[in-house]
Amino acid sequence: MDWAYLFEISLTGVASGGLYALAALAFVMVYKATRVVNIAIGELLMVGAYLFFTFAATFALPLWLAIPAAVLGSGLLGAVIERTMIRPLLGEPPISVFMVTVGLGSVLVGLVEMIWTADQRRLPDFMPTQPIIIGDAFLAPKVFWGAMIAVVFIAAVLLVFRFWRGGVALRATASDQAAAYSMGINVPRVFSLAWVVSAMIAAISGIIVGSIGGISSSMGVFGLSVLVVVIVGGLDSVLGALVGGLFIGLVEALAGAYLGGEYKLLATFIVLVVILMARPYGLFGTHEIERL
Amino acid sequence: MQDSLTSQRRRALLLAAGATLVAPLAAHAQASGDEIVIGGSIPMTGVFSFAGIGINAGISDYVKIVNDAGGVKGHKIKYVPEDTGYKVDVSVATFKKITSQNKVNLYYGDSTGFSKTINPELERNGNIMMAGASFATELNDPVKYPNQFLVGPDYTEMFGILLNHIAKEKPGAKVAFVYSDSEFGRDPIDSSEALAKKLGLTVAIKIMTQAGSVDVSGEVIKLRRAAPDYTIFHGYILAPIPEFITQGKQQGMTTKWMGTFWTMDSSTVMKMGEAGDGFMGVMPYRYYYDTSAKAPMLDKIRQMRPEYQSTAYIQGFLAAMLFVESAKRTLDAKKELNGKNLKAALNSIKDFDTGGLIGVPITIKGNSIPVGRVYKADMKTQKMVAASDWISL
Amino acid sequence: MRIGTLKETYIADAALFDSRTQKVWLAVGVALLLLFPFMAGEYWLYLACLVSINVASASGLNILTGYTGLVSLGQAAFMGLGAYTVAILQAKVGTPFLLNILAGGVVAMLGGLIVGIPSLRVKGLYLAIATIAASFITHFLFANLSFAGGTGGISLPPARLFDVALDTSFRLYWVIVPITILMLLGAANLFRTRVGRAFIAIRDRDISAEVLGIPLLRYKLLSFGLSSFYAGVAGGMWAYFFRVVTPESFPLLMSIFFLAAIIVGGMGTILGAILGAVFMTMVPELLKLVFDLLPNNTELTVFLSPVRTIIFGLLIIGFLVFEPHGLAEVWRRIRRFFHLWPFRN
Repeated sequence: MDWAYLFEISLTGVASGGLYALAALAFVMVYKATRVVNIAIGELLMVGAYLFFTFAATFALPLWLAIPAAVLGSGLLGAVIERTMIRPLLGEPPISVFMVTVGLGSVLVGLVEMIWTADQRRLPDFMPTQPIIIGDAFLAPKVFWGAMIAVVFIAAVLLVFRFWRGGVALRATASDQAAAYSMGINVPRVFSLAWVVSAMIAAISGIIVGSIGGISSSMGVFGLSVLVVVIVGGLDSVLGALVGGLFIGLVEALAGAYLGGEYKLLATFIVLVVILMARPYGLFGTHEIERL
Repeated sequence: MQDSLTSQRRRALLLAAGATLVAPLAAHAQASGDEIVIGGSIPMTGVFSFAGIGINAGISDYVKIVNDAGGVKGHKIKYVPEDTGYKVDVSVATFKKITSQNKVNLYYGDSTGFSKTINPELERNGNIMMAGASFATELNDPVKYPNQFLVGPDYTEMFGILLNHIAKEKPGAKVAFVYSDSEFGRDPIDSSEALAKKLGLTVAIKIMTQAGSVDVSGEVIKLRRAAPDYTIFHGYILAPIPEFITQGKQQGMTTKWMGTFWTMDSSTVMKMGEAGDGFMGVMPYRYYYDTSAKAPMLDKIRQMRPEYQSTAYIQGFLAAMLFVESAKRTLDAKKELNGKNLKAALNSIKDFDTGGLIGVPITIKGNSIPVGRVYKADMKTQKMVAASDWISL
Repeated sequence: MRIGTLKETYIADAALFDSRTQKVWLAVGVALLLLFPFMAGEYWLYLACLVSINVASASGLNILTGYTGLVSLGQAAFMGLGAYTVAILQAKVGTPFLLNILAGGVVAMLGGLIVGIPSLRVKGLYLAIATIAASFITHFLFANLSFAGGTGGISLPPARLFDVALDTSFRLYWVIVPITILMLLGAANLFRTRVGRAFIAIRDRDISAEVLGIPLLRYKLLSFGLSSFYAGVAGGMWAYFFRVVTPESFPLLMSIFFLAAIIVGGMGTILGAILGAVFMTMVPELLKLVFDLLPNNTELTVFLSPVRTIIFGLLIIGFLVFEPHGLAEVWRRIRRFFHLWPFRN
């Protein structure tokens, strides 16, 4: 039993799980506030990465301008999506809104292909290139710093939800819309805010994922792994996004190392099925009680 | 009763609707008569679009050159392409559409999947010889795919060229295969492993990556531990090769990095940036900017198209050249233009000069052209330079 | 104007086609279907067979999602199970083709029953995600089991009926369309029986249905089984039509296509499945026609594929926002207009 190998694989798995966690955070933001399952999260990631590509490579803006520009652009897109597609379907069964996000994913992929073509591209490098060495184990710097950024953001969001009025308003709207209205919370504004923040976090995640694996119009398939992460962690739990992400990252790395590359996705989905059978609401999700 | 007026209108509307429905149903075969038709399912959009656009331009240009010179024995050539977005069902649909509207003798297909799916239809049709963008080993079987051919070496032969080069440079070296989990990726792996053993090389590790996977650090760790002297990538266009190379170099790997046809277009390799310096691979054609030897066709291409044309363009151009040559030989022998005769004409091609597109005269015995050269990327000049002689298997 | 839909017997009340006008139009429709293959070119026959297969599969999904309310993104996986079964039987064993299609349906049904087991524990979105997992697991099986031909897939010889090889679209039309019509009639009849009504009850409020005495697990599994049987048969026909099955032939995108088809057509109606499948299959063709007619079309063809993707997404969103009951509702309104004419409402 090669412990050094196991440690090295586990380390890189956990770190790449941080990437999943960040994308899962974007997903959870929307679900927590609006109860909408946004399966287009992978495509929102992609749009963020492409916006960054346009600002950084095509317009050659410096990094400290390009990243905020891409993030703000995505936030704007999130607001537009919420206003035009999600708001009209407010009272409809959740499956309808789910299908709208499926349609949204297609539209975003088509738009990206039209504007930037379906070619694979690389993002300009901006992360430190010194590999992280822990003992004998190597950790790729991009993955490490990506994971660090993810942890920072999740911690920030956890604090915001706890202490800032807006965060509390978000939680209130999530648990009972009618009560939130009567307490004077501007519920439509909260919805918009949730989507805008979610899109911005997705953009950051997209930039990191894009700088590791390059960008292409089929980047959105990353969203399926993120879906598994949120199911495992709990659809509305921020902490669950982190734990779920790290766990799935670890599972994938171990499956890839010991079984082979083709087993990665299979292992992930088997974990999904097991969790769905054993704890359908995920590790940290709130149990939904259905009333007649 | 207003019945008569409105029901008259209703009847007229129904008649008009019926007419517009029936109109497209009237099958219309455009008898091209004297023309030789080249049909194409070309992936001009979708994930393969950079190749599709190049192939389309290559075929059109060669057809133009031939038509400007008077055609093939007086027959003009008509090129009928349609976009498929690299989806097999769309490719099949466009094949059916083009063959129902034209008398097609030569066809260009966009993918391995399409070539395999359409094979029974080709055999039934009997009039068409087909080439395509795919270099799949399975297609290189004149018994199973009698009406098809590859415009270059198949993927196993490409590996063969690389492995031969490695065996010459460093006998007994350790080689690693990194390939994608797709038909494209898996195609040559088993046969190449056997070939490597025959040449006295050890296959240190075979790593398969998930299609579309983002993070490959786990795979890089496996690769590092296998410590190969050469690493061959196959089944990718660009991603995740640069990431592999970057992480590998960061972890101190000294292996030489190599790739196969679809990675080796000049613009693709240049996108790798710093990581791509010294990247090697097999390419059966000369690059657009190659002026190392006399190449009249390349000069003509450079005249027609002043900006860089990809290797996909050259593949399309060469495919059209071979199509026209087969048609010419068939007509010379006063035989009918059908699949069997065209293929026989193709197989009669011996020591054929491609005008410099391929560095040596070619002979097409079976379904492929097993010739290629190893090139190396030079980031300073932003060009691919030859790293070996032309190798014929 | 339709006056007097008085029924005198229970049988007449439960009939599928009750008025004379309906029966006349039905006869016209059958006549058109019979004449079509003799009038149409090769390409249109190809489209007709494809539309027919899609209609069959969409009506299966409609049973599960439209009538029982269980959202499934695994329809393509069940089609794949049916297609692979047919491919393996036809290529390696050589059994007669009707038997193969039936076997394909049965294997897919078994798959559906397995996937349906979590449906008691999870519902709604979670079930949908479980079906996505099923989709990936079947893809893995197709790509890695050796007798399934690996990533290369299996190519099969054409079906033979009374010693005639069914290798052209014309010949396959005469097999595919009748099978589809049988399946549609089966689905329509299903919803006249108590099983069908139980499905509808489960969709509307499953806890109440259970209180009323409908055993949930049994009926949910039945729904999964039926819809995947339909998918398996459609997949079998698909295999005979394309004659090559590969793991890439049944991606998740195909499941999304079918779900979109029944949403656009109208969930919970047989007509909805038909209209939706026809519409979604023909829209890309229409788009190509439009692009061909535009000037400057050689430059614009680069945009055909992305525009097709965008239109696909916009159709889903548009129908959900503006016409949630789909094309079937549009059709119902047109019919109502003609029924009530010369009155307005």
